[in-house]
Amino acid sequence: MAQPIYYTRAEYIETDTGNKVSRRATIAGPQNIILGGKTIISSGAIIRGDLRRTGPGHAVVISLGRYCLIGEGCVMRPPYKTYRGNFNYYPMKIGDHVHIGANTIVEAATIGNHVEIGKNCVIGKFTIIKDCAKIADNTVIPPNTVVPAMALFGGSPGHFIEDLPESTQEIVEAQTKQYYTRFQPLPSER
Amino acid sequence: MGLGVEYYCPCLAATPHPPPPNLPSSSHSFHPLHNLFFCEECDAVRCNRCVFVEVSGYYCPNCLFEVPSASVRAEKNRCARNCFMCPNCSNTLTVVPSDPPDTGDSRNSPIVISTVGEPPFFLYCNHCRWDSAEVDITFEKPTGLAAQLQKFEDSAPESLEFERLKEHFEPFLRASNSNAIQPTNSSHHGQLNPIQAAASSALSRDIPGVSKYNPLGRSRSGREKAANRNEIAEYKARVEAGAMGLNSGSGAEGDVEFVKHLETVEEVAALNQRWVNSWPASLHTSDMKPLRIPLHSKKSKRCPSCRHILIKPEQKAQSVRYKIKLVAANYLPAISVSLPHAQAALEMMKRSAGRTGSAANEEHSLAAAGGMIAGKTYPFHLSFTNPLYDPIQVRLHVQRAVPPITVVPEGGKAPRAPFAVTLPSSAFPIAAYAEAWEYEDDEDMFGDEDDFEGARGLKDRDGRGKTRAVGVLERRANVTVVGGEIVLGKEAKGAVKFNMLVTYTYRSDDPEPEGDIEGLSPSKAHGHSKAPEMKTFSFYTLVELGNIIPREDPKMDL
Ligand SMILES: [Zn+2]
Ligand SMILES: [Zn+2]
Ligand SMILES: [Zn+2]
Ligand SMILES: [Zn+2]
Repeated sequence: MAQPIYYTRAEYIETDTGNKVSRRATIAGPQNIILGGKTIISSGAIIRGDLRRTGPGHAVVISLGRYCLIGEGCVMRPPYKTYRGNFNYYPMKIGDHVHIGANTIVEAATIGNHVEIGKNCVIGKFTIIKDCAKIADNTVIPPNTVVPAMALFGGSPGHFIEDLPESTQEIVEAQTKQYYTRFQPLPSER
Repeated sequence: MGLGVEYYCPCLAATPHPPPPNLPSSSHSFHPLHNLFFCEECDAVRCNRCVFVEVSGYYCPNCLFEVPSASVRAEKNRCARNCFMCPNCSNTLTVVPSDPPDTGDSRNSPIVISTVGEPPFFLYCNHCRWDSAEVDITFEKPTGLAAQLQKFEDSAPESLEFERLKEHFEPFLRASNSNAIQPTNSSHHGQLNPIQAAASSALSRDIPGVSKYNPLGRSRSGREKAANRNEIAEYKARVEAGAMGLNSGSGAEGDVEFVKHLETVEEVAALNQRWVNSWPASLHTSDMKPLRIPLHSKKSKRCPSCRHILIKPEQKAQSVRYKIKLVAANYLPAISVSLPHAQAALEMMKRSAGRTGSAANEEHSLAAAGGMIAGKTYPFHLSFTNPLYDPIQVRLHVQRAVPPITVVPEGGKAPRAPFAVTLPSSAFPIAAYAEAWEYEDDEDMFGDEDDFEGARGLKDRDGRGKTRAVGVLERRANVTVVGGEIVLGKEAKGAVKFNMLVTYTYRSDDPEPEGDIEGLSPSKAHGHSKAPEMKTFSFYTLVELGNIIPREDPKMDL
């Protein structure tokens, strides 16, 4: 019953591990970005892998797990702060089965597995979102916030609304896998 | 305009049958499948409204520290580490020094690691910019702030009064605990426990006209006298009631003056800024204190009837795993509903997007919004997913729609049901669940147009050459899709929803319980052992199809 979500083949680059990245997304510093596989980066998304820690060598700036979705127009930017007089960027780590809705801005430090983030949200710097949490649409999470596991947050500033059902992990896992399967090239192009 | 299927938990009803869907009470009895539990012992669905909840651990939602239950009491259910809530906007506060190191970087907000910088320290909100210096709360050291704040809290007159009350009632609490061998609801059998006796006598003393609580009704027998033997000495308040601080929020005289001279609404603390306090708080925004963050808990859940554990989380606060997790989704087929006419309309709209709105377009947009026009007939699809490792046979019944209770007009006919639902009348199979189905991406799952052609071929034509769509439409993996049909009356309006009884038969290793016809009143009758038998389980669902657009005016604000 789940309808396919079609895209034009020309728009997406598919990697060996099944990641699908829109040519209309801006991927800055791709050498500093890790995609776990079967992750979709939608059109208009901006991923700032170029904002890396100062110092020599190469560093992972943004890592995303498997079955993630970065919605249209999202901005993923690593968090920064000035510590003991030194300005620096810090890495952003995102787990598996994480969906981020359209036009959301993320500057989190870590996002666990099976996390759903709605559209039009602002996830402030150094935010930590634990496993199976959910952020409602249009939520503003201020910097340094901790969102505990299995919690629904919403509002501005984002605050705890309720505990999510015990089966959240299974629900989110099924949904993210199904989304990946539904996301396919137009039949006429196959 | 809902489109969906919810499942019934009979806990609120005296009968196993749900209330008619048009009654407001219906919505309290139906739940999303994923919010329900299943007790194997009772062979019954349970919901969050009826399960027994026990706290299995406490933790701070901000620092995620697991607080031992022994400390929870002493620390008054709030975090005793450095976690504070902004009294203005409920954001988490940050400890900042008075003199943030100036790095000359304009992007540098006061969110700075707190251990550097000059005292005094204060709490700062990086969302609304409230800070604790506004209410004269500053700290010499950036550590141990919670203990200092708790000292303030504990010295509040209300807190002292509460402590005194606790002290006063302590002996009686202890006495009642030692009597706790009685069943929990013993009071309903005539015996007053000392706490109730004390509460009752205090109430009757303080509120004129209230008589003492007597569980035996009017029969003033020796029982009451026996209870009175436990009567508690009169409590003397620390402070005369109402004489508490002028700033106290409980309707003091000062509040009237304050409200009379208000200049902006912001001077009054909103209700949601005050109710997080343990005691009635001041009405003045300028009096709001930083709050220690209230703890959260992990919960175990038990079946209300047999007390078996349905949910038992792992100890670790942030673990999302469970030692026991008996959820209904692992026992009952998952059902989802869709309206082919709405999906077709959506497709049409996508295709015609950009073109100027025609009348046809308008109708499509109505349909895409899930609207159905009175007097018409619509097909709908129900998709069943089997969670069991064995195939099941499913049979559906519609609970007859009850017409809304209205006064029959003079000479008029009794109101008719606004719509009629047709479902497949015979049982249909759903294949067993197998790990392989969901294993890795079955790219063809949604696949080929030919499959859809095949489904269409199943529809037979009735006499008038109209396609009929009632019956099994599609079977793949552990999913079976069946079609139903809804005929809307000409006068129909409102929401289209109906109760559907789902009965499924599965192979059971248990002996067949005797007289268990529909599984609605399961009885575990043993001593009837035969070879593996077919067992039957039934549950009610509420199917919502959306709203009817009245015929006269098929326009709707979108
Ligand atoms: Zn219930
Ligand atoms: Zn804490
Ligand atoms: Zn604030
Ligand atoms: Zn039970």
